[in-house]
Amino acid sequence: MKTTMGHTVSVHAASHGNGKGTAAHIGKVVKNRYVLYFVSIVSLLVIWHFSAVIGESSKYMPTPAMVLTELWRIAHENLAGKNLLGHLWSSMHRVLIGFAIGSLVGVPLGLFMALNRYLNALVKPIFDLFKPMPPISWISLAILWFGIGEESKVFIIAIGAFVPALINSYNGIRLVDPALYDAIRMLGANRWQTMIEVTFPAGFPALFAGLQIALSVAWSCVLAAELVSARSGMGFLIILGMTMSNPAMILSGMVVIAITAYLITVVLSNVEKWVCPWKVELPQ
Amino acid sequence: MNKGLTDEIKVEVIGLTKKFGELLVLDDVNFTVRKGEFLAIVGPTGCGKTTFLNLLSRLIPATRGQIRIDGQEADPKKHNIAFVFQEPSSLPWLTVKQNVEFGMLIKGVRADEREHRLTRIIDLVGLTDCAELFPNQISASMEQRVAVSRAFATSPDLLLMDEPYGQLDIKLRYYLEDELVKLWRETGSTVIFVTHNIEEAVYVAERILVLTNKPTTIKAEIQVDLPRPRNFIDESFIEIRKQVTDLIRWW
Repeated sequence: MKTTMGHTVSVHAASHGNGKGTAAHIGKVVKNRYVLYFVSIVSLLVIWHFSAVIGESSKYMPTPAMVLTELWRIAHENLAGKNLLGHLWSSMHRVLIGFAIGSLVGVPLGLFMALNRYLNALVKPIFDLFKPMPPISWISLAILWFGIGEESKVFIIAIGAFVPALINSYNGIRLVDPALYDAIRMLGANRWQTMIEVTFPAGFPALFAGLQIALSVAWSCVLAAELVSARSGMGFLIILGMTMSNPAMILSGMVVIAITAYLITVVLSNVEKWVCPWKVELPQ
Repeated sequence: MNKGLTDEIKVEVIGLTKKFGELLVLDDVNFTVRKGEFLAIVGPTGCGKTTFLNLLSRLIPATRGQIRIDGQEADPKKHNIAFVFQEPSSLPWLTVKQNVEFGMLIKGVRADEREHRLTRIIDLVGLTDCAELFPNQISASMEQRVAVSRAFATSPDLLLMDEPYGQLDIKLRYYLEDELVKLWRETGSTVIFVTHNIEEAVYVAERILVLTNKPTTIKAEIQVDLPRPRNFIDESFIEIRKQVTDLIRWW
């Protein structure tokens, strides 16, 4: 083959096909992003299917088709009084409450810490001590304190969401480009104007990114909490699948969790485009 | 040349001295700027030009000496001092138009007056087409024009410029320098323009102050009495340029 590596595919096709036009066409299709996405997903499903069918482990490894059937079943059948959507909402409900509490405390605290060095000096050592602790490690204490009801789960989620919400709002304000401050001070702005016109808008993207992280942390915390003790929610479904030796149910739960997390990300990135339109660059 | 130009003294710098610890950066600098004058300051690289401007703008305090505007001690709260930085400094979350308007908003310019100046200046510097774009959607030269327009729009008592076109390519610079001169003549502002580019200084300024190496003092003062628009290959232009170059080279 005389051509460069980049053209290998089309040249190869040409030697078997009906001339250059077809070859170029095939080359184009093969290189198309969406075609590749499709190939990627289909290969995953195929490998999954055959690894489930072949071998001893087939008892514990359902095929994709079985998972789909199970999804259909649990979407319509009640498990512990709720169908799939009901359980999804249970988890979501906890996430939203915990996330709201965590960010309502974390964001203002982060902002005040960034703006006031005395408060910062008081709070930061404590925060730095607790920061590296995984929120899930609070589970046992939370259950002892709040019981196995909603409160303990919301507590874990709130702690999980609190940390990134605080860190990002703190850093967002601290890392504002000093040139922007020079520019507005030169114009004779007072402290208040500087804060309203520069500090907050400049720190906002980082703050918002913190909320996005907080929401995804909240989502993983709710699952952990539900895996430990719950009577509803996606984590409960997965545990139920385990106790009933129903791997298809476990995988169904995992698939729904993945899809939900993905949708949340998509929604949030669209919200970001809406609240920070100036971050969008012109298409090249 | 400029209609607003009189013999009235606008800015008076008396015995300006700056030390960073033991390091003497600026040593007893004295000069005056007339109302509506365009003054360029040139000097060897690292001679403390930026420090000099930061002192004039009151971003940093002087060790000794006075800066007077209209006979009073300069004060950013009282006097309208504008600054165009070397780096683009437009606010990324405001559109081009809002950025130009921003300075006037902070200065508390009345709404109708603001609108009037905004339209005129945006039109003058050719930003009309990109008025609704955000800074990350325009080129570096456009962004610098936004900063220049924002400064002029406040009709400052004193406009300080720190190598505003230092990072732009040469062809664009000529164009922007013409634009700058146009803005200056239209608004009658008093401008102090710092640069290390001698040709640029001769092209835009009415008077040039040549600085020495550290500790910085004023080495010479050169009048540029050339008609505008100036021509880079004009004999008298080249002569002044050579004169300034020699002053910087042989300290």
